[in-house]
Amino acid sequence: MPQQPASANGAALAVRAKPPRRPDVDVDVVVIGGGVNGLGVARDATKRGLKVVLFERNDLAFGASGNSSGMIHGGARYLTYDPHVTETSCRDSGHIQAIAPHLLFRIPFLMPVENTRKGRFLYPLMDAFFAAYDQYQPLKRGKPHARLTVAELRALEPGIAGDLTGGFSFDEWGIDGARLCVANAVDAMERGARIFVGTTVERIEAVQRGPHPPELHTPGHGYTVHHRDRVTGKADSIRAAVVVNATGAWAPITASLAGLPPERARVRPGKGIHVVYDRRLTNYAIFASTIDGRQIFLEPWENMTVLGTTDDDFYGDLDRVRATSEEVRYLVEGIARVFPSIHEARAIGTYAGVRPTLYAFGPSEDALSREHEIVDHAAHGAPGLYSMIGGKLASYRLFAEAMTDVLARVFDLGVPCSTHTSILPGGDAPCDPFALARRMGIDAVAARRLAYRHGSRAERIEERARERPREAVTVCPCEPVTEAEVRYVLNHELARSVADVSRRTRLGLGSCGGMRCAARCGQIVAEELELDPREGMRQALSFLERQALTRSAALGPDQARQEALTIASVRAEIGVGAEHDGDDL
Amino acid sequence: MSDHVVVVGAGIAGLAAAWSARRAGRQVTIVSRGAGASALGGGAVDDVPWEQLARAARVLGGGAGRAALPLSVGAAAFVAELELWDVPAVERAWIATVAGRLRPARGRDRALLDLGRLEGALVLLPRAGRAGWDADAIAASLAAEPFAGAGRLAFQAVDLPVLRFDDEHRIGDADLAGRHDDEARLGWLAGRLRQGIAASGAGVGAVLLGPWLGASAPRAEALSAAVGVPCGEALVGAGSPAGLRFEAARDRLLDTVGARRVRDRAIRIDDERTRDAMLRVSLAGSAAPLLADVVVLALGGLIAGGIVYSPPERRAGTELPPAGTAPFELSLDAPVALSANGADRMSVVASMHGPELDVSAWPVADRPGALEAVGVLCSGVSAGAGIYAAGDVIAGRPRTALEAVASGLAAGDATVTR
Repeated sequence: MPQQPASANGAALAVRAKPPRRPDVDVDVVVIGGGVNGLGVARDATKRGLKVVLFERNDLAFGASGNSSGMIHGGARYLTYDPHVTETSCRDSGHIQAIAPHLLFRIPFLMPVENTRKGRFLYPLMDAFFAAYDQYQPLKRGKPHARLTVAELRALEPGIAGDLTGGFSFDEWGIDGARLCVANAVDAMERGARIFVGTTVERIEAVQRGPHPPELHTPGHGYTVHHRDRVTGKADSIRAAVVVNATGAWAPITASLAGLPPERARVRPGKGIHVVYDRRLTNYAIFASTIDGRQIFLEPWENMTVLGTTDDDFYGDLDRVRATSEEVRYLVEGIARVFPSIHEARAIGTYAGVRPTLYAFGPSEDALSREHEIVDHAAHGAPGLYSMIGGKLASYRLFAEAMTDVLARVFDLGVPCSTHTSILPGGDAPCDPFALARRMGIDAVAARRLAYRHGSRAERIEERARERPREAVTVCPCEPVTEAEVRYVLNHELARSVADVSRRTRLGLGSCGGMRCAARCGQIVAEELELDPREGMRQALSFLERQALTRSAALGPDQARQEALTIASVRAEIGVGAEHDGDDL
Repeated sequence: MSDHVVVVGAGIAGLAAAWSARRAGRQVTIVSRGAGASALGGGAVDDVPWEQLARAARVLGGGAGRAALPLSVGAAAFVAELELWDVPAVERAWIATVAGRLRPARGRDRALLDLGRLEGALVLLPRAGRAGWDADAIAASLAAEPFAGAGRLAFQAVDLPVLRFDDEHRIGDADLAGRHDDEARLGWLAGRLRQGIAASGAGVGAVLLGPWLGASAPRAEALSAAVGVPCGEALVGAGSPAGLRFEAARDRLLDTVGARRVRDRAIRIDDERTRDAMLRVSLAGSAAPLLADVVVLALGGLIAGGIVYSPPERRAGTELPPAGTAPFELSLDAPVALSANGADRMSVVASMHGPELDVSAWPVADRPGALEAVGVLCSGVSAGAGIYAAGDVIAGRPRTALEAVASGLAAGDATVTR
């Protein structure tokens, strides 16, 4: 049974009932890919009046969108060789702050400069660099940079060590990429789009009844998109006038499903990993260099600290990307030069994603362009098929706007983009976490986290808990997550599994490794989605195993002890390895 | 024959070693600081990891049944004197977990409900607005378990108020369990359950509750007697009141047998080889070491902190680590060797930074995870001259309660034959 947005109100249903613009298709546009770009297009196109369906093979924000550094940064890194990326990033960072204020948090950065001949030589150049970056800061409500002496640096962050000549501060914004994706998805659905997660596209078949070569506007030309629900195994197809391939690093695979050579939608997949620490180790993000001169950072992010990132060409399975011990050490060794106490900090996990960088043969990974481009496959004999290549979280909305502008021309809409002025769900009004905590009878931290994730929509979760008071209990004590929120994301945010719930709520990502909450979450998933209870348990176990893999790449003494306890606990309660054993256990 | 025995660690293994050495007439001092795996355990008394039973049963055909081998004479006597566990003579218990699984165990903490003896019964699960206790979900999940089908067990969530005060929706399991140590309160609960059962009509066979039945001793049997049907807890994997009940039962047993308890942390064991003693156990909180003829190491594994994961990168600062070392160490200095698999000495990893645990930390099917297998290299329970090991600290043995008992008893006995 495909999932419908249960939150759709009458008006949205009316929009959905609206016919496509041509009688011979089911929808105007099929978007493939539930990352931030695909969801951005689905939202924009729906808003401009098109009938849209989106298919996602895994889950919303499963790939790069949900595994980024979690910043809507201005792309200072690209200023020297790609200033255009910096400007567009800053401009759109401002827009995103306006439409999703609840999801953004300020991250002030410190950049220590080593007291070496090179460091002293570079210091004034870096100052000039940041001065150039300051021009763009007002676009995103950022503060200008400051030059800091060594004493000032250490006063701001006493953990900074090493022989330094001084440093700089500058300003960026953090965001939860998965929540940004969900907000876009929910908005698109409420405006009439239909979104299917866990649904893979198996074939994109051109329908050509017109003259050859086909013209896009020829009635009869379009695509039949064959798709299959990966959970139920049920296959179906849908006819669309236009297909948008927004599958990030999966883009060449998707293009090949339409019979195109994969080179037509080529990316250069770049794997990036992050290490997660159990608390906010610092109040400032800290820049550092790796042994090979790459820039990495340690940033306080939500209620944890994130260390990132690597950039390596990736040749593996995109559905199973994970960090290795060796990659983790590369980052730790780099940051330890300016922040040596990182060795004593408790890493509680890692995550990894693959950037869909524009293809080029030759340059090193870091030198690759972060620009995005839209490939019109009409040139390759497939009119009405487009691939979105490249891009980054910070400029997703612009990329989606550019793509939807193309659709607007194709469908002759004459409606301009308004996604930068219309508020995303939850961003319309601030939510006071202390009042929320009092009303729900939960603690202030839980309420603060809830208000962060859902903005004003936290009130809908509060309403659930008011109707069913037992749902105010905590399921995941680390994050923390209430039962009402778990049930809400299953009903209104397209979650279909324990892992999906975790992606939307951060359930099970704390230091206990899901020991306390995975099984309980599995019960709730089974209940809400009317699955066999044993399916809920199986999901919990596969979530636990998968998370254990990501944690163990960064295991230290404290977390190893916790890990042993988690194994014992899971063994006692559920049984380890039981999900491999089929049904007769 | 050795007179002075020092047992380091007061979990199940240390207790069994102290008990058997004391029974054989040795002077026993048991040193411990803090809670290990036994104090964090959930109350299942396993002999082997239970998934292995289920897997073996499937290979042989049919489900895992109730039949089991009898305990050794020593283990049976230990269990009887501990007065905490029920280990049936030649059959297994079946216990429900809060995750909704119905699983075999060789025995159980007496507060846990044994569903193996309830063929054809209707089991009621009272609803209670507490985190981790969703009676409806647990009932649905238990009903779907194969053993429930084979035993014709039925589970039903019922509105039956078992919480007396408002704060009981929020307090921890241990606090709620502690309230039922009070006889009057337990009587109140029994009254509620009797009423609820009467209202449900005939045919109620048992009542399954959360882990709330006693912090200083299991209260399920008294409750069952007052209610008229078996009442008991479901198992929580870690941090359950069953751990508190173990600690209380342990202290009672140690006092009964007259073992000396020292609350301190042992930091080093040296060869003494004087006329008075063979070994010297240095303590963190006392300048006076303990002298012993025999030391039993029952420190626990990684959970308890007896074995410490200590990759060299930890000590690195901005430089290379000082040396390439084996990534695990014992939490105290002792002349024993560690092993990753129980067969060989642990060797230095060919990395200046530490091992790659990303693929080996967690268990897969029958292969134990690296974090479970590491421990002291032993021949039987002998780890070195005058030093024996027991329980989770031994490399490559299953981390179960009865394995801890068996190795503890063996270590205790060895102090006699030595």
